[in-house]
Amino acid sequence: MTLRRRLDGGAVWAVTGLASLCLAAILGVCGYVLVRGLGAFWPAPVVELSLRDGSVHLGEVVAWDDGFLVLRESETERVGAHYRRVARGDIAREARPDDAVSLQGADGRRLFVRGGEDPAPAVVVESLRPNVLSTLDRVGVTLARAARFVTGGATGSPWVGGMFPAIAGTLLLVMLMALFVVPLGTATAAFLHLRKGRAARLVRGAVATLASVPSIVYGVIGLGLFVHGLGRALDQWFHAAQQPVPVFGSGGLLWAALTLALLTLPVFVTSVDQGLSRLPRSLEAGSLALGATREQTLRMLLLPAAWPAMLTGLMLAVARACGAVAPLMLVGVVELAPALPLDGEFPYLHPSRQFMHLGHAVYDAAMANPDPFRGVSRAFAAAALLLAVVLVLNFVAMVLRDRLRERYRALDD
Amino acid sequence: MPVSPRHSGSLAARFPVARRPRGDRWVTWVVTAAAVLVLACLAVIPLFLAGSLLIRDTGAPDWSRLGLLAMDGLRATVCAMLVALPLGFAAAGVNGLAARRLRGVLRGLFELFGAVPTVVLGLIAVAALAPWLARHVASLLAVQVAIPAVLMAAGFAFGVSERGARWRVAWMAPLVVALAAAGLMLADRTDVILIRPGSPWNAILVGFALGLAAVPVVFSIADDALAQVPGSRVDAALALGATRWQAFATIAVPAAAPGLAAAAMLGFSRCFGETMIVLMASGNTLVGGFDPTRGLRAPGAELALGMPDASVRGADWHDLLLAALLLFVVAVAIHLAADVLRGRLRRRGEARQ
Amino acid sequence: MAGPDHAIDTVVAGVPVAARARRLNLWYGPSHVLKGVDCDLPERRITAVVGASGCGKTSFLRCLNRLNDEIEGARVEGEVRIGSVDAYAPGTAVHALRRRVGMVFQRPLPFPQSIVDNVTYGLRVAGVRNRRERMDRVEAALRLAGLWDEVADRLGRSALELSLGQQQRLVLARAIAVEPEMLLLDEPTSALDPAATLRLEERLQELSGRFTLVLVTHNMQQASRMSDFTAFMHDGRIVEFGPTGTVFVNPRDRRTEYFITGRDG
Repeated sequence: MTLRRRLDGGAVWAVTGLASLCLAAILGVCGYVLVRGLGAFWPAPVVELSLRDGSVHLGEVVAWDDGFLVLRESETERVGAHYRRVARGDIAREARPDDAVSLQGADGRRLFVRGGEDPAPAVVVESLRPNVLSTLDRVGVTLARAARFVTGGATGSPWVGGMFPAIAGTLLLVMLMALFVVPLGTATAAFLHLRKGRAARLVRGAVATLASVPSIVYGVIGLGLFVHGLGRALDQWFHAAQQPVPVFGSGGLLWAALTLALLTLPVFVTSVDQGLSRLPRSLEAGSLALGATREQTLRMLLLPAAWPAMLTGLMLAVARACGAVAPLMLVGVVELAPALPLDGEFPYLHPSRQFMHLGHAVYDAAMANPDPFRGVSRAFAAAALLLAVVLVLNFVAMVLRDRLRERYRALDD
Repeated sequence: MPVSPRHSGSLAARFPVARRPRGDRWVTWVVTAAAVLVLACLAVIPLFLAGSLLIRDTGAPDWSRLGLLAMDGLRATVCAMLVALPLGFAAAGVNGLAARRLRGVLRGLFELFGAVPTVVLGLIAVAALAPWLARHVASLLAVQVAIPAVLMAAGFAFGVSERGARWRVAWMAPLVVALAAAGLMLADRTDVILIRPGSPWNAILVGFALGLAAVPVVFSIADDALAQVPGSRVDAALALGATRWQAFATIAVPAAAPGLAAAAMLGFSRCFGETMIVLMASGNTLVGGFDPTRGLRAPGAELALGMPDASVRGADWHDLLLAALLLFVVAVAIHLAADVLRGRLRRRGEARQ
Repeated sequence: MAGPDHAIDTVVAGVPVAARARRLNLWYGPSHVLKGVDCDLPERRITAVVGASGCGKTSFLRCLNRLNDEIEGARVEGEVRIGSVDAYAPGTAVHALRRRVGMVFQRPLPFPQSIVDNVTYGLRVAGVRNRRERMDRVEAALRLAGLWDEVADRLGRSALELSLGQQQRLVLARAIAVEPEMLLLDEPTSALDPAATLRLEERLQELSGRFTLVLVTHNMQQASRMSDFTAFMHDGRIVEFGPTGTVFVNPRDRRTEYFITGRDG
């Protein structure tokens, strides 16, 4: 084998190896989040540690390394108050009694008792004997806990309880955002289709440039221009009686939706623009031959025919909005909203209210939770949910876009 | 002659052609208004941010702070580029050589990964990577150097065959991963801490997470650039007896060079403006300097942390707007420059067909 | 009303003229495609336009309804009159012209909408709001195109479900519904099987009583079967024009003879 071949061989292996690492990192990250997120719900065994000093402790192991482990004991006072750090060397005996019961209260507190004793917290949400569960049972418990996580409501503390308020807040935010993005984006894409030449190039360039702006900058604009600018103005005109308490002059659903609309506009416009230009030219020719103007053709034929591209664009915009935490931190997302922006009292939708957001819940659980063990688990669970939503939306959008590309390629002459 | 006998008068008589159909007027209005609004949005951002400079009445801007923020942001970005560029370019190169079916799969994977919210990557950095990294920086760097070296040696020893070249990455990936995992586990055992970072929140940690976030951008632009190299030139090289790799390395890569440069620039821009990862993993203390083992405060984090509390029109407020302006200007400038580079690439490709 | 206003006073073989082209030149960018075409199209007859590939048949057709305007770099000089209207006058509204001159393309291209929406498209564009009137016109157009019986019970279904022959008749109905004076047909049967071709030819012959038809075809048998007049084009010019019988049996120009005999038998 020549030296040349060998050198090439070295280069090829090195490059391919790096690419493999890259792929592994990507898949590993996603897999890790999903597994650890779901794993947060997996019922752990209850252990009974007998230490050398004679004390006996019943609880669940939440963290460990080579020298120590951390045990969560019954939280008789409040959530997160009863962690005990135990050196491995101090453990005389470790047992997993069959009659150990793990209880969870409605306020999130965990209690561990041996069968027969009856601590009776106020409301018990879950009661199991984790040491005697079969694998199938464990899967069932995991799914049940996950379901409660997704559908459960707030419990007065931002760090305990279900994700439903965050999910609802994200949903409302995204719907309000769509109300702004879809008309504006469609009209912009229509402009790009109707006008060729310098004007269209300018607007296309503007859209591409807007896409490159960091998301936090949009948050700054949202705060400075919308909240403090428009919001204050609105308050002065409509809510003068409530001064100086700001209604629209502080962060809220409306300004967040506007900010995200600005952020996701390029994504939506690009999708619709591409959709329109991928339609077969013969379609437009057929319409023009019937005596329609270009505007009529666009309105009556092309835009309706491009609805998959609009759907794709919307899905991509929604996915982006779910993941854009940074700008929202400036325009009204909170860890715990006193009320949903949508409720039973008129006018039912309250766009000035603060709201919760799934992506922000991940950040909050990871960084601000006073109970670090719960915080990390919760953060991974929320992150797994967020990741699943975003990946599904993007995947479906991708598949849809590719299928359409094939269909129109076959159609065109 | 009317087509339909039931109605008196022809279509042309009953519905004469309008000079300009009714709907058209407001369609034109709506689309033009939308275009104007979009242009206005683009203009408003720098105007608002820069305008604050002019109406400022609370003393001179804190340039030194801004400078330190820029430096810290640069430090994080450079660390990230050290991760993103090798991985992204290698992946793009492999994609260029791979079979068509594999190419679609790889592109899809990277596109999906590009959609992953950065808050998730920040979480991984904070909760999974940081504790481990605090004790194993040296091992990680050693493994990073060792793996390519081992691979190069293996390649040197075995050479590379043309057969199976297009699917090579598919079977090599598990091998390499196993190798890396073994190396890391070995390093884990050794418990010798050669490099002790000042805090668990340092630029190296940020570099990994941020770099990974930038890989999809680098990959997709580089992949685009390589794909635009005219096939005829590569085919000519193959006809002269070059292997696929040789044709790729000596023809395709140089031809795509402007696009590759653009990929690096756009990756840089993505990292410089990023907020969530640095917010979670960088420690958020303004440090300056070039030490990768120390923390940093990126401009994005400065904005996320400072703006909610800053009182409007205060000195802080204006300084923060200035930081935002910095992010905007850097992003747009890089974007425009990259566009020029990619435009040049496209024109080259078209001209030489 | 089909039939021109009186301003074109020429007559071809005893038949009034529906449209005419004078000194028509067309460039696609630097390429000179039509080099001075002079042609009179007889009213309510079928005129076939034949010639070798690339001689400019389709381009000529597209000049008649100004569809070439949509092509970047296309430039036209000369005169085209549809009825009394100067098609290329600066003040002419293009879409108004196109309502009077319908077109059927080579490949059947129904819109991706329902059958009825396809046919009412031109009507909706024209501003016909009354549903009843629209449905009446739809039925009339579909009957004329010979498609009504086949689709009357499934008007709401997608047009793409029809066979190619049915789609082409649908496109024909779509064009007829707006009551044009002239119908331009660019090789309308080339994508169809022989049975569908025959059906379409039958329909077109019936329609020639109401509309002026201009039929571009490369099928010489079709031209001699169907058309009343034939124009032979060569290298961007109309070299010969006359009643079909005369052109085929006794062509004046040598090039015509070569072309016809080259194809026949």
